[in-house]
Amino acid sequence: MKVNIVSLTCCAGCVSSFLNAGDALVEILAGDFDIVYSPTFIDLKEIPNVDLAIVEGGVRTKDDETLIREVRAKCRILVGLGLCATHGGITSLGNMLSLKNLLEKEYSLIDTTKLPELEDLMYPICNFVDVDYYVPGCPPMPFLIVHTLKSIVSGKQPERHQSVVCTECHRKIVAAKLDRLYGIYEKPADPVLCMVSQGFVCLGSLTREGCGAPCPRAGFTCFGCRGPPDSMMYRSRDMYAFLVKVIASRTSIPEETIKEELYRNPFVFHTFIFSRFERAKARDRVV
Amino acid sequence: MSSKEITISPTTRIEGHGKVTIMLDESGNVADAHFYATEIRGFEYFLRGMEADRLPFIISRICGVCSTAHIMASVEAIESIYQTEITDTARKLRELLLMGQIVSNHSLVIYFLTLPDFWFPLEEDPSKRNIFQIMRERPDVGKRAIALRSFGAKILDVVGKREVHILSVIPGGLITPLREREREELLKEAENSIAIAGEALATGKELFEKNWADFKRAGDYRTHYMALTQDDAINFYRGNIRIINPEGGNVAEFAAQDYMEHVEEKIYPWTFAKFGYLKALGWLEGIVQVGPTARINVNSKTTTELANAELREFKRKFGTPAHTTILLDYARLIDLMYAVEKAKELLEDKTLTRSDTRVKVEPKGGRGIGVVEAPRGTLAHEYVLSNDGRLEQLKLIIPTQINNQAINLNVKDAATEFIHNGEIKPGLLNRIEMVIRAYDPCIKCATRTTGERLRVEIKNHWGRLLTIL
Repeated sequence: MKVNIVSLTCCAGCVSSFLNAGDALVEILAGDFDIVYSPTFIDLKEIPNVDLAIVEGGVRTKDDETLIREVRAKCRILVGLGLCATHGGITSLGNMLSLKNLLEKEYSLIDTTKLPELEDLMYPICNFVDVDYYVPGCPPMPFLIVHTLKSIVSGKQPERHQSVVCTECHRKIVAAKLDRLYGIYEKPADPVLCMVSQGFVCLGSLTREGCGAPCPRAGFTCFGCRGPPDSMMYRSRDMYAFLVKVIASRTSIPEETIKEELYRNPFVFHTFIFSRFERAKARDRVV
Repeated sequence: MSSKEITISPTTRIEGHGKVTIMLDESGNVADAHFYATEIRGFEYFLRGMEADRLPFIISRICGVCSTAHIMASVEAIESIYQTEITDTARKLRELLLMGQIVSNHSLVIYFLTLPDFWFPLEEDPSKRNIFQIMRERPDVGKRAIALRSFGAKILDVVGKREVHILSVIPGGLITPLREREREELLKEAENSIAIAGEALATGKELFEKNWADFKRAGDYRTHYMALTQDDAINFYRGNIRIINPEGGNVAEFAAQDYMEHVEEKIYPWTFAKFGYLKALGWLEGIVQVGPTARINVNSKTTTELANAELREFKRKFGTPAHTTILLDYARLIDLMYAVEKAKELLEDKTLTRSDTRVKVEPKGGRGIGVVEAPRGTLAHEYVLSNDGRLEQLKLIIPTQINNQAINLNVKDAATEFIHNGEIKPGLLNRIEMVIRAYDPCIKCATRTTGERLRVEIKNHWGRLLTIL
């Protein structure tokens, strides 16, 4: 199988994560997996026709858009690797400023005729091309990438992860009695109790499983880097209201107080998904 | 009229979307050359207003390759505002994480990005000049590369709790202590990694010797150098910042907190990446380089045995300070050796598993700076926090920004060496890219906005595109 690995606007963390797969990576590379084009590793400057294209990063410039269209036209299967490609990722936080504002205020000293033109927003790739498999995560864990690629190479459907991070987290959910929410630096986390039951704003209950819950396991909050689970990928679902209900039921803090606290912080919820992700289109293809 | 422009885009085997333009004069000789960053992401503006307790793990998304260094600088900056003194255990674990970062980054750069240039003859078919081809021919080299990277990744996974974008480092220390079983496991792998690093050094030196006469032709720019120093030894985590001049004399030595008083940034309209330079000497005079060679030039030793022997040999062979650009690839191997040795030394310390990894922080507003040695050189984050704990201002001075002007001058140097009378010799493109590659520039970091490619376009002097190489 001939493979392209392409990077758009991103941090290169997803390909780094793939390289961290160790023995599994050696195994993949020794098998039917022939990387023929990848600016990160290979000097070829023209994109060839291939079976599989792996794309990390989203679309921030017109160059990215041209590139992703060309990549799609030249591959049979397209995999969006990582949250920037699948949902827009961290760079879509920049969507809070309009393009005009951005150029006038932030990049006024830049001569835009010499650099690629910017899109009006940061987009996930599904806004421009069809995507066969989405592998969200910031970055996706190496085993998840390996599992997905192995399935594709052997012609099988990759196993889908449809539920929420809580199903992979060992922590015990209890209905605690708390008077307020806590920041992650404010107190050490109990090793056994659910993070939300301790008053931390953990997004595990509305984030897709498949990562093995490394963050809540380590005593950190889940910050939603796998994007919404299947049950949340309908237009009618109000994730915000759902989060308020989850926190209220596990802490006994009045819903009004929680809402106030969450609205005070614009980054609680949209840190990783502030984009124009077309939910309905993607529902059955998220790995 | 024969004047034209040569463009290399995308630059390959480099982290970030970059582009090179070489302007030729009427007789076809090099008039000027630019190394561009063509991607933007905009962390500087969308982080404004962010709460301090989400800052480190969001700011690490600037770069997936050196994320640990960014988190570390970020947390140290916040701690300097909060005036937090972390425990010795936390300090050791953080240094171990930085060593994990150096191992995982340098094994990537050495094997996956730069090795193919040394391994294959210059005339080799470009589509073959890559690590995957090396793996096909010599599976053992590939296995070693991946084993070494896995050791770095494992440190980050076990101590940092994730391999890329670690999360255990927070203001006040580390979120969880290291378990005894984990320490023993890592220690076992450290032994093996030192052996692999030794082999990498031997192979690297052999390839270097073979090609040295040819390599030193391009890029020999004399500049100032800057790096962290602790008792005159290389250190990635603690110590003063020292600047030396091109002759090797000390120009300045100061604490990390004073960093911003010494370094200034400049903007050019043709690139999204800024240029760092020394304030006291002004633009152009004050060009300074950071990174593996700078670390060796600024310091006289390392605290570990094998790396120190290599460092002495390096200084003996190339003098001090060493200027030739391509030596960065050599110096990186010494960095790698130091990192695995230091990781082993830290892991041998049984107090590493003590449970006092975290102290309570008292959030407050103010200004603070965090400085560490990232894989590519000195990295500084400066924040101003408001009293309610939100980010008001941030300034990031990133190694590639500081090296930016040196890279540009070196590209011009290399182009002048290889292009005469408008004639482009075969392999030219890659020779210029090799000079850039030696710096291991992280364009993504430098602009808080870049991707992953270089391409060469030949334009006539009206800017019309003639060919793309």
